[in-house]
Amino acid sequence: MSGQETTAQGTSAQSQAADTGITVRVESFVGPLDLLLHLCRTNEMDLSRLSLRTITDQYLAHLEAVRFQDLETAGSFMVMAATLIYLKSKLLLPANPDEPEEALDEEGELLKRELEERLREYARVKALGAWLSERESEQSLVYGRTTAELPPPEDIPLEDLSVHLLQRAMQRLIEDQKRRTPRQVEPNPLSVLERMGEITDLLRSTWSLLFSSVAGAERLRAEWVVTLLALLELVRLGQARARQAELFGEIVIERHSVSVREPIREVDFAEEAPETEAPRDATAEEESPRPAPDETASPQAAMDAPPETTPTDDEARTEEGEPRNA
Amino acid sequence: MPEPIDVVEALLFASDTPVEAERIAEVLDLESAAVAREIVEGLRSRLDGESRALQVMEVGGGFRLVTRPDVAPWLVKLARSRTRSRLSRPALETLAIIGYRQPVSRPEVDAVRGVNSEAVLDNLLERRMIRIAGRKESPGRPFLYETTREFLVAFGLRDLGDLPKVEGELIVPELAEAAAAQLADPGPDQEEVTAAPDSSEQDPGPGGDRVSPSS
Repeated sequence: MSGQETTAQGTSAQSQAADTGITVRVESFVGPLDLLLHLCRTNEMDLSRLSLRTITDQYLAHLEAVRFQDLETAGSFMVMAATLIYLKSKLLLPANPDEPEEALDEEGELLKRELEERLREYARVKALGAWLSERESEQSLVYGRTTAELPPPEDIPLEDLSVHLLQRAMQRLIEDQKRRTPRQVEPNPLSVLERMGEITDLLRSTWSLLFSSVAGAERLRAEWVVTLLALLELVRLGQARARQAELFGEIVIERHSVSVREPIREVDFAEEAPETEAPRDATAEEESPRPAPDETASPQAAMDAPPETTPTDDEARTEEGEPRNA
Repeated sequence: MPEPIDVVEALLFASDTPVEAERIAEVLDLESAAVAREIVEGLRSRLDGESRALQVMEVGGGFRLVTRPDVAPWLVKLARSRTRSRLSRPALETLAIIGYRQPVSRPEVDAVRGVNSEAVLDNLLERRMIRIAGRKESPGRPFLYETTREFLVAFGLRDLGDLPKVEGELIVPELAEAAAAQLADPGPDQEEVTAAPDSSEQDPGPGGDRVSPSS
């Protein structure tokens, strides 16, 4: 099948579309000019005498069928749509009613002519692209050497090299390097609820724990804060007791004989709260008794709240270089 | 002692790039490039006369020894790949703009195409169809692009003068016809269906991305 035949097929398909007045194929247009050109052809319109009314309506109708490759391409289609609508609006409000149809004011005329010129230019480019495509397919049937077995010349010809190639090679190297360096894996963020579970688990096998052994010897600020919050919450729920013998001293966590076995994962704070009234008094040295304004509050609020009412502890941590607001 | 014509045949066979007449003259110690050209023409008619599977082709300012189109089907079979990777329609159009207007900057290419051409230009650079010729002394100092020798070779062009002439007000169908007429005579076409100037449906499809044995 020769290139000529293909051309003939292409044009016949197109004239068919023009005959029936509908566009059969949903083509992927590479740009707004491509679509516009297609519309001009199907309407057999002279590229130097655009009928803005027809073309604008059809362009807008086609816009829905166009598959956009990316946002930027979509944007360029929209810009063209805006231009066409603007021009059409000028037609609907003619500057001089006596003038023939499709008369535009000076600005509109200029815009239209520019558009026509761009369209013609694009039409040429498109045809040239098609010509190149023909050449390419012709050349695809011809095979020659692309690499030689001749030893490379001693002086490398620099004609085809550019700084850009160097930059490209460098960029590739950097990207390779990046890919090879191991990724830093972040530990899971600490959770008060998990720490509470850990403490109750530990308390199952032992009667008492040292706060420092749970919080970790590294004295990471976040660890200590989370552990303290978890402990306070357990105390509030009556699932553990905490004792601090002296200011800044070690906190001893003890099993609370009654409620260790209670599940804590799905604690409903609003319901649990009344039962915890009594044990809370027992641990008054840790946590000053307070009314229950947050008993209906969210778990998060409940966890945030305790430190505010424990001045002793606050002091202690501040002294240890662990500010509360960490 | 081999004849000059045999030596030229060997040069063209062994070289991976088109060999210029000047270079042939240099290698063979000939008095001028014109003499080298004569020898090449002799080789061309010898190959044609014996209807060999190879032919001499003048592309990119030099000579290449390539296979004839009618043996292509067997080469395809040998390569176990149906098509060579083809350029997309946007890429071809961009190449056309650069071919005619070089050196040209991206904003200028964008203006003609009506869309952003960055990705297309990157692709063409990667395939070495174009290269950066410098920077334009205008706001932003954009890169200027020009076509390469690889471009000429890929499209079987002797030089840029082989590109069809485009007049200012030329309307498309005429050019398409002219191009088709021009294409009708050289070399027999295989069953390769290519993009018709109007149909625009033959962008390299899924098969178009295959790696060719020569790329």
